[in-house]
Amino acid sequence: MAKLLEGPAMGLFQKWGMRTPHHLVISNVEQIDTLASANPWMKECKMVAKAHEALGGRFKLGLVKVGLDLAGVKKASEEILGRSVEGMKMTQVIIAEMIEHAEEYYLAVKSVREGAEILMAKFGGIEVESNWDKIVRTSVTVGEKATDAQLEDCAKRAGFTGPMIKKMTAFAQSLFACYDSEDGQYIEINPLVADKKTGELVALDAVTMLDGDARFRHQDWNFNFAADFGRAYTPAEKEIMEIDSRVKGSVKFIEIPGGKVALLPAGGGASVFYSDAVVNLGGTIANYAEYSGDPPGWAVEALTERVCALPGIKHIIVGGAIANFTDVKVTFQGIIAGFRKAKDAGKLNGVKIWVRRGGPNEAVGLAAMRELKNEGFDIEVFDRYTPLTDIVNMALNKQAGERR
Amino acid sequence: MSIIADEKTRVIILGGVAGVNAAKRMGEFCHLVQKPFYVDAFVYPPDAGKTADIPVGSQIIPVPIYKTLEEATKNHPEANTALIYIGPNRAAQAALECMDNPNIKSISMITEGVPEKDAKLLIKKARETGKYLNGPSAIGIMSAGHCRLGVIGGEYNNLILSKLYRPGSFGVLTKSGGLSNEIMWIISQFADGITTAVGIGGDAYPVSDFTTYLEMFEKDRDTKAVVLVGEMGGNLEEAAAEWYGAKPRRIKLIGIVAGFCQEALPKGMKFGHAGAKEGAHGEGSARSKVNILRKAGAVVPETFGALGPAIKKVYEDLQAVGQAAKVEDVHPSELPQLPKKVEESLKAGEIMVEPLFKSTIADDRGDEPLYCGYPASELINEGYGIPHVIGLLWNKKLITKQEAETIKRVLMLSADHGPAVSGAFGTILAACAGIGMPQAVAAGMIMIGPRFGGAVTDAAIYFDYGLRNFPNDIAGFLAHMKKEVGPVPGIGHRVKSLKNPDKRVQELIRFVREQKMSLPHLEYALKVEAVTTTKKDNLILNVDGCMGCILLDLGFPPESLNGFFVLARTMGLIGHWIDQKRNNGRLIRVFNYLINYAVTPKRKVPPLSK
Repeated sequence: MAKLLEGPAMGLFQKWGMRTPHHLVISNVEQIDTLASANPWMKECKMVAKAHEALGGRFKLGLVKVGLDLAGVKKASEEILGRSVEGMKMTQVIIAEMIEHAEEYYLAVKSVREGAEILMAKFGGIEVESNWDKIVRTSVTVGEKATDAQLEDCAKRAGFTGPMIKKMTAFAQSLFACYDSEDGQYIEINPLVADKKTGELVALDAVTMLDGDARFRHQDWNFNFAADFGRAYTPAEKEIMEIDSRVKGSVKFIEIPGGKVALLPAGGGASVFYSDAVVNLGGTIANYAEYSGDPPGWAVEALTERVCALPGIKHIIVGGAIANFTDVKVTFQGIIAGFRKAKDAGKLNGVKIWVRRGGPNEAVGLAAMRELKNEGFDIEVFDRYTPLTDIVNMALNKQAGERR
Repeated sequence: MSIIADEKTRVIILGGVAGVNAAKRMGEFCHLVQKPFYVDAFVYPPDAGKTADIPVGSQIIPVPIYKTLEEATKNHPEANTALIYIGPNRAAQAALECMDNPNIKSISMITEGVPEKDAKLLIKKARETGKYLNGPSAIGIMSAGHCRLGVIGGEYNNLILSKLYRPGSFGVLTKSGGLSNEIMWIISQFADGITTAVGIGGDAYPVSDFTTYLEMFEKDRDTKAVVLVGEMGGNLEEAAAEWYGAKPRRIKLIGIVAGFCQEALPKGMKFGHAGAKEGAHGEGSARSKVNILRKAGAVVPETFGALGPAIKKVYEDLQAVGQAAKVEDVHPSELPQLPKKVEESLKAGEIMVEPLFKSTIADDRGDEPLYCGYPASELINEGYGIPHVIGLLWNKKLITKQEAETIKRVLMLSADHGPAVSGAFGTILAACAGIGMPQAVAAGMIMIGPRFGGAVTDAAIYFDYGLRNFPNDIAGFLAHMKKEVGPVPGIGHRVKSLKNPDKRVQELIRFVREQKMSLPHLEYALKVEAVTTTKKDNLILNVDGCMGCILLDLGFPPESLNGFFVLARTMGLIGHWIDQKRNNGRLIRVFNYLINYAVTPKRKVPPLSK
């Protein structure tokens, strides 16, 4: 899943014939006057200014200002730009026209195994959460289109009457076309409103998730994806993502502030079991990480350095199942190089390293890890005969599972 | 028995390098179970018409590569299974083609990063065609003792350790490739091993879901229990639980679900496989999946660590009712070993190889080349030069500074002799015909022989003969040469004479004499020259003869001596090639007036006789 910020999302909506408020993304306040002379609506409408970042709860953080005129927009943008929130600097502001409206609606398309589900409600905004059961749904098989009759029926069931039925149907058709053509995974418009002046439906706010794997067939996707967990990516996370995008196999890294146990496991499946094991034993994880698909040693080395740099960690879990084709020797050489660099940089003091792994060249890889003991690392190395997550039990000083 | 992959499986692999690597792993498996290789063909347009050579035991099996699947199935009508290893932008199209092909019954799609929409279209197509598709992002399928599709199972030694050479009683279903291997290992340690293990792929929408495979396992009488590894997100585990609880099932189901850590993570944060996405409203969490599986009657241990003992318990229960497979373990030493490469066997001291040839001067098996034992970089750092390297490589001696200076001068004075001589002309002719440098230089080099530049060795050999046999009898030596050999090599020049001496020779002689070196061969040759020049003015000691004698006096073996001319003149030949390139020299054609056409006039061709 890959999330879009509002700016690019609104661009996509317009491409598929859905009305959105007039809007602009700026990165410095000086641009505003010039833009206002080219965009009359900036002088005519009330506006909203929001930090254009992947941050949850922007309203509470004071990063959303409403009911502004041009002067107000400038002042708000000045306040937002350059502010640091949760360690990240605000670099963009989205300025949008405020649409006067009486009612709010809800419209979404969600990917399901068989195709898609279109969700509709004659209520919107914060009412959605509490009235989830009252949302009406209709299904579309993959490779097929939604029919007007089907959507009209859906609108009627949702409680729309009169000309609104046709309007909702037309808007839903556009939304579905956008979802279907842009490899959407989840697009939720909330609220969808009827403009008081024109009666036209306008998408005021939306969550837009596209399938990042489909990027190869969308030459016009000129945007980067945003973090979809309520905060922006940290520099270290971005660095690893950048490496991940250019190497064979994969390396993944997400920081979780405050954790004591750092994870450096192999495999998308095993890594989650390692995280589970830590949490299950009352430990706290400092990160999520994973490498798989036989990545080059240098990529694993970079990942290792990031893991070693996590603040306040007490343990590093270098876990992994028995690999099918990831070369244990090569990937361990990367990890070892990363450990050495970290140690030379004065890190890893009081950090205990726990290793368990199997797979191609396991004997050589594990032996090289064991050698680190002689270099003064506090490290324990286990092979396939120690069950997968037992190193977590040992690290957290709990009784390990039964040994064979 | 097993599911999907069995003794009747015959495979076509779609894709390049990754596909070939998988075929090699499959070849290893065939060697372990001592069964014939079952990869019939590859489909990979860039290499169509060639073969991919796959080792199976100590045999190399050439597997044909085709441009299209249709071509491959036409030539290999027994192939019934396709493995897809092509990039995510074309993989779905290939999978659709496979499903449309009447010969292909099942497909395993290894490709990662296939868009979800494509996967969903494949689900639809599979339903319409009744074909079976494993993946995308699958690691493959392992049926112990029978068939391996893909790299699942990893390296050879793991196949042995996890007892994959013979079937057991447990089926395995995982999303994760690495975990499929781990589970096979656990089952081999805590129970009797597997029937079939399937990596279904970690994407959100694997084309065949857990339920598809559970149905297959239920029908496979040899599978008594199935270990299912699930993870948060989606509803495939719920569907599996629903299937399991719907009616009494023959197979036992053991489940384990990853993703409890989700509860302790900041809201909205998730990770793992693409499919590991929690629903927006709580559905699909690890906890709810575990509860639903347990409710359906599956054994679900609390943690991954407890999985082994849980499997052991189920196995003991099966044994108690006589349900477990009767398996016999084979000691690893009795199983076929993967043939070692020659290097490995040599290292282990198991074999001795008769060397193809012997080499005594240089060795680059270490960090850097050694010239007669001396590291090249140290020679450079110590101030040695090219003549010293020549001394080492041609005569295995670290020569003195004085000797090096002599060699340097020899090389310098032979580096070039203008464009008109045979060697340079050969190179120029080739260069002007557009020939590349190494070949054009070689064209000039070919000219070096008895009449051009190649008399150094011969001159040395005969002056040495004279010195040994006619030390004080030049007339005797010349008489011997006249009778047995002909003109004395190293004596005589086309243009130079006593009156018009060769300055190169004079300079070289002056220098070596100043060095107070012992020069018996040179002095002997000069005595010969003193006699020959009395007969004819141009019968002087030429540059070949002079070089030959001096180098012999320096201790170089006679067979090495032409090398000095070859080496020196290479500088000139390269220069001439570059020169012509820069001049953009035109193709050279010899003018008719430069040729004496001593030919038969034109005449009629008679009819071909019988």
